[in-house]
Amino acid sequence: MGLVADWLRERKEHLDLFDETRTAQQGNPLYLLGPMIYFFWLVTVISGVILMLWYEPTTTGAYDSVRRIQEEIPLGWLVRGVHKYAADGIFLGIILRIYRMYFAGEYKRPGELGWMLFFLGLVLMMISGVTGYLLIWNQRSFWAAKTILTVPVYLDELTAPLSRWLGYNLNFGSMIAYVFLGGSAIGQATITRFYSIHFGISLVLLVLIEFYFYRTRRKRLNMSLFPMALFLAMLVFISHPDVLPAELGRRADPNRTPLPILSDWYFLALYQYVKYTPPLWAGLGPGLLIGIGMLVPFLDRSRSRHPLDRPFFLVLGIWALFLFLAFTTLILWNIAVIEREPPLVLLSTAIVMGLGFLWHLRRRRRQLRAAAVPPAARPTARAPERPAPAPSVLAGQSGEPA
Amino acid sequence: MVERPERLERRGFLRLVTAVPIVAAAAAFLSPLLRLLKPNTRPFEVLYEPTVHDVPVGEVTVAATLDEVARPWDFKYFVFTQRYPQYTPEGLRAANVPAVVIRLPYKIRLPWDWARTIGKTPQLQESDIIVFSRICPHLGCIYNYVPNWQEVTAGYGGYVPPPPRRHALMACPCHLSIYDPADPQQPGRVLSGPAPRPPRTFLYEIRGNQIVVTDVEPGGIA
Repeated sequence: MGLVADWLRERKEHLDLFDETRTAQQGNPLYLLGPMIYFFWLVTVISGVILMLWYEPTTTGAYDSVRRIQEEIPLGWLVRGVHKYAADGIFLGIILRIYRMYFAGEYKRPGELGWMLFFLGLVLMMISGVTGYLLIWNQRSFWAAKTILTVPVYLDELTAPLSRWLGYNLNFGSMIAYVFLGGSAIGQATITRFYSIHFGISLVLLVLIEFYFYRTRRKRLNMSLFPMALFLAMLVFISHPDVLPAELGRRADPNRTPLPILSDWYFLALYQYVKYTPPLWAGLGPGLLIGIGMLVPFLDRSRSRHPLDRPFFLVLGIWALFLFLAFTTLILWNIAVIEREPPLVLLSTAIVMGLGFLWHLRRRRRQLRAAAVPPAARPTARAPERPAPAPSVLAGQSGEPA
Repeated sequence: MVERPERLERRGFLRLVTAVPIVAAAAAFLSPLLRLLKPNTRPFEVLYEPTVHDVPVGEVTVAATLDEVARPWDFKYFVFTQRYPQYTPEGLRAANVPAVVIRLPYKIRLPWDWARTIGKTPQLQESDIIVFSRICPHLGCIYNYVPNWQEVTAGYGGYVPPPPRRHALMACPCHLSIYDPADPQQPGRVLSGPAPRPPRTFLYEIRGNQIVVTDVEPGGIA
């Protein structure tokens, strides 16, 4: 117990959720991502509360009320557009920040907890995105909600052997779906529950974050006025009806699925993946991806934070980014032949990751050889590549052999 | 010094003795929360099937007349109404199950083995009329009956059926599952896409000139 508490205490002290300790690096846009997330979050919550003045959470009235907000209510388009694009901004910020933490090795000790919290944040953000999307009650959101909430039903396959052994059906997967749907189909109960979850996630997290800032006494928005004003101007500009207003789509029709049908941009790659796999893996795959992603700090044992010092993880990160973009492109072109593409994806992944692993081994062997040779006898050509603090890091962690 | 580990052991034991009832009490206090989220769970019901109270009940419907699907590959869309419990103060709600009647060019054995599980005996064994639920058995979108297979290739991801299956097919817009309604061994066989099984079928009777639908194969979310 004491060990876990010590581990947690050290990580908690070094938690830096919104880059608020990086006060010296304000000029670097990479370290603007943290305050950007917090800023867009506040904008989303405030605009969301204003939208609640006009929104009607019923199956019959939701679509019309959103249309009225967009088209009739003075400046309704502005509030709705700012709400949508600020939420997209949070998403973009979280994704880019996770990539930054990954390639810059920020998940290494003592950053493990921050890394895991950001993955949790990504999951909550996705839930918030799906639940908020259904509130529009258009075709895209209706079918997105329906497919996503059918995925847990297949988890019943996992408990099926246990069910047979016990003699009655456990059906926990279906139960999860029914609890979210408020019944066995999308209806009024679903929209009420989604409304509550959509608002609740942001509100509860904001309270917890406020508690965090209260305890750490750090600055909330580590950001100067200029980027804040710029972001706000961008939100207003893009929301304008003549530029790229928040989409309304067509009213949800439970009897007709349109062809083709797409999801919001951040789900497109996942959507393409769901076309390729058996439905049980549509749920397990992303779950495992996020679970393994959270465990990366414990899988990557290399000490250096430089990406070239851990080639396997560098290749993995770049490949994941490539697949994300490739899947997004394929779905936009509406291409998915299940007999052709999944073997190609698996084969290329195996080859790329195998090569990455070989590179990793080679690099590691070189590092070991360099560590074995005394510094004076080391060839001079390799000397500049070895960072100077390496010996001190080695000295600090005496528990592990080099 | 000798007594120290013993004292710690005692402390640990006492902790355990207090922790167990506290955890049990917390679980007891939290357990009604599930009833709050899923009100058709009975109070104090521990061993039960969590979804047993959510089974929808369908209404007998006339799907089509025989004249409407007289020639091979004729089809007709219709809507079957089911009532299911919804967790709102109003309670029960009706949901639509979009469906399709298809006239096949030859007779096949109807896939009605499931009828016995709901206590029904099918009136027919084989027929050239088959009724499918249009809810995709994959993730619940509504798939389409596509009379021309070339439209399937063009619009549903690029699948090209082998020559014996170049006839009307069924295809889902969401994840591009493609079904063959006329497969003699397994009507609705999955030809391509992620669907784990053929679409669910309806039990029907021929009453005079009418195709009357009585039940839908259980399972899946409406």
